[in-house]
Amino acid sequence: MQAMQITTRVACWWMIFRTALEERLAYRGDFALGTLMRFLPIVTQIFLWWAVFESVGGGNAEEGRLVGYTFRNMVAYYLLSMLGRAFSSMPGLASVTAKQIREGEIKKYLVQPIDMIGFMLLGRLAHKVAYYTIATLPFALVFFLCRSYFDGWPTPETMAAFAISLVLAFLLGFFLDLCIGLIGFWFLEVSSLLFVYMLLNFFLSGHMFPLDLLPSPWATIVDYLPFRYLAYFPAAIFLGKVDPDRLWIEVGIEFLWLLVMIAVARFLYARGVRRYSGYGG
Amino acid sequence: MLAASGATADMEVDMANTDKKNSAKPSQYKIKHPSYLGVYLTFARNSLVRDMMFRTNFILEAISSLAWSFMNIGFYWIIFEHASSIGQQTGWGKYEFFVFMGTTWIINSIVQAFFMPNSEEFSELIRTGGLDFAMLKPIDTQFLISFRKVSWSSLSNLVLGFMLLGISLSQLMQRPENPWQFEISMLVLYPLYIFCGVSILYSLMICLAATSVWLGRNQTLYDFWFYITNFSRYPMEIYARGWGFPLWLIFTFVIPVLVVVNVPARLLAQPLTPRASWEWPLAGFTLLAAAVSILVSRWVFNTALGAYRSASS
Amino acid sequence: MTIIEISELSKSYRVYQKQEGLRAAIQGLWKREYRNVDAVKSIDLKVEQGEFVAFLGPNGAGKTTTLKLLSGVIYPTSGNATVMGHVPWERNNDYRRRFALVMGQKNQLWWDLPAQESFRLHQQIYQIEKNEFERSLDELSDLLSVRGLLGRPVRELSLGERMKMELIAALLHSPEVLFLDEPTIGLDVIAQHNIQQFLKYYQAERKITILLTSHYMKDIAALCKRVVVITDGQIQFDGSLDDIIESFSGQRILRLQLAEGQSADGLERFAAVESIELPRVTLRCPRADATKSLGEILQHYQVDDISVEDPPLEEVIAKLYTAPPEKAE
Repeated sequence: MQAMQITTRVACWWMIFRTALEERLAYRGDFALGTLMRFLPIVTQIFLWWAVFESVGGGNAEEGRLVGYTFRNMVAYYLLSMLGRAFSSMPGLASVTAKQIREGEIKKYLVQPIDMIGFMLLGRLAHKVAYYTIATLPFALVFFLCRSYFDGWPTPETMAAFAISLVLAFLLGFFLDLCIGLIGFWFLEVSSLLFVYMLLNFFLSGHMFPLDLLPSPWATIVDYLPFRYLAYFPAAIFLGKVDPDRLWIEVGIEFLWLLVMIAVARFLYARGVRRYSGYGG
Repeated sequence: MLAASGATADMEVDMANTDKKNSAKPSQYKIKHPSYLGVYLTFARNSLVRDMMFRTNFILEAISSLAWSFMNIGFYWIIFEHASSIGQQTGWGKYEFFVFMGTTWIINSIVQAFFMPNSEEFSELIRTGGLDFAMLKPIDTQFLISFRKVSWSSLSNLVLGFMLLGISLSQLMQRPENPWQFEISMLVLYPLYIFCGVSILYSLMICLAATSVWLGRNQTLYDFWFYITNFSRYPMEIYARGWGFPLWLIFTFVIPVLVVVNVPARLLAQPLTPRASWEWPLAGFTLLAAAVSILVSRWVFNTALGAYRSASS
Repeated sequence: MTIIEISELSKSYRVYQKQEGLRAAIQGLWKREYRNVDAVKSIDLKVEQGEFVAFLGPNGAGKTTTLKLLSGVIYPTSGNATVMGHVPWERNNDYRRRFALVMGQKNQLWWDLPAQESFRLHQQIYQIEKNEFERSLDELSDLLSVRGLLGRPVRELSLGERMKMELIAALLHSPEVLFLDEPTIGLDVIAQHNIQQFLKYYQAERKITILLTSHYMKDIAALCKRVVVITDGQIQFDGSLDDIIESFSGQRILRLQLAEGQSADGLERFAAVESIELPRVTLRCPRADATKSLGEILQHYQVDDISVEDPPLEEVIAKLYTAPPEKAE
């Protein structure tokens, strides 16, 4: 009996996942363009940092050092943080959630025997899988072309931590964005809030530059925020910037952050739904 | 506040009306050509009325675009903590670069205020079939589509851009060699090249938006826009090595986004003498590029209208 | 005077055929199958000045496409059309100033602004003289009784009120030709009626030429003398409403009011029984048999009242959509 329920459940989740995946794949033009373009900013970053390191190194960029980063490290960092963002960024998730709340589409989850958070997570997973099917090739190509910026493969242990940190980054990114979207239960117009959040996220996650560059009080503050796990952390692991002794402790902290965000999202959703039904829809 | 702004806007429209009456000679002529200025003022006014209806949002939008700018200052501030200039001997030290950045903001905020909402809406109109209505109006369709909305809040960055420009230039007056000096020619050339830059970006944007006719839903459009214009945000000297050269060629001569900020910023930030020999031809080329871009955008726009299929209901 | 002249006008689209299933979706990334859809197939039509013509047809029959072709919004695949001497898809300003298109499912007014702001924009775009503009706006808003709503943001208006505003926006520049694409869609009966009344009055007053597509027979019955039935991109029928009934309905409805105590048993011998709710009985018989059946019924039954009607228009039209005309009589 129990087993039956689980299989039907899994079948149901599988259907949801497939439908979402199909929907994503329907837009070919988007995909082709999008993946290609995603690497363009890296190109300008490479040139910018070359110029910066050239100045720091007194005319020789290869000699320049910035808080322990060489020019090659810096480029590798950007490539890796792109990879991190490919896992942790959730384009449209917060705004779609807020929109569903605003336009009452949320009712569908209250009426149907589907858990909204689970449903959205699956949808997002499908979204990501669809993206990776297309994006793996260009990613591999870019990393291959840029292999000279890397100092070889890290140890298997570091690789394991790196892989785990990416998966956690996906989940953490999902729940962070979801929480922002769920704020829509309380404020109808959240688009500007979203934009500010997006900017902060971009800055604090280390997507804009390695967080080590931050001067002292800021560096500490950023250390105590969850955003650094979305881009900086995986890249730092790979580049050996995380103290090997503290590696698993740090991964553990990331996991704790994930649990906290899941709890917050669940709490916001439960309160939000209560508030929503209280108003009579 | 609302009423007051409505009243001034009314005056504007009335002024436009009287303008028209004064300039109207043969009435037949007037009927043939709608008053583009009058229509534009009405657009601008309607947008302002709308913005003022959602005042909180308006303020939040202004704040968020300011936040982005401050983040950028922060980023480069950090870089200049470590490096004295962008590139060796390029002349792009801290305040020269901030002049560059101020110019970037000025141009971008103009584009974002006057053209961005319209391009966004253009692809939306193509998708929903709402373009039908625009095509029915006895007025140039590209004009109607390009100028419908003004996002007044985006102008906050324009103010910030001028402030950054002012602060940086006053710092540059103390530049040890070649201190910055005001030249009357700057007053003409700087706005002229800002205008050229805006024209180039506008053309690129409307061309991108028009691709919705063929590509359908096009979310990545704005990513694409961002990535392309990303090249324009840095001094072109940084591309002057190795495989940067073909990029420099492409983004100067094929999609001329590199000249958008570089030419006006260089005009202002770098000492007028000595000028490198390549700078004057580049300045001339920029004028040409702006004109050609506009023509190309017109061609792409009309081709897109031809292929437009008009989504049913 | 012929206002609209269409000859052999065709429009076909190439449509991406979406395949079912995940595998097909992935394949769709690099290989796509297209299908040609002929929305309009070689239509010929002439409309005289001052006519009020209805386009009738099932969804996807090509009515809206025809209107869009005539508005110049889309280009035809082949064929010609002129409206007031202009080729619509050349979209020159002289033409665009002389007609208007209203679409029941789309709106052109600024959503967040009061309708009067959109109207003022129209004034600018169409270069309507200030006095002329005030006068038309007064007249139209009175006729449609929306004067009090002009200052309210469009998004706060009901669907019916919004449609009235759309009509005003379309008529401010006094177009000579008006295309209406389902102007009453989704409206309640009262709003529908109001808009019908308005259109009827306005058309009679101004003698403008109107082409209307609608799903509501009431619209058409109330407004149009001439009906063009389009199915599958072709003109099936062009004539008056009465003609439609005449040639497409081979049947009559007989409504009887039986006398007290009279049973309805055995009526099926004379005509097909539609419903029995004593004392009322509804029967149906072929048109040619109506007189005969009636005579026989009157012989055998006591009947208080009698009426002979055509079947409901909806039914006739539905039949028209699906079947080729039965050559009645």
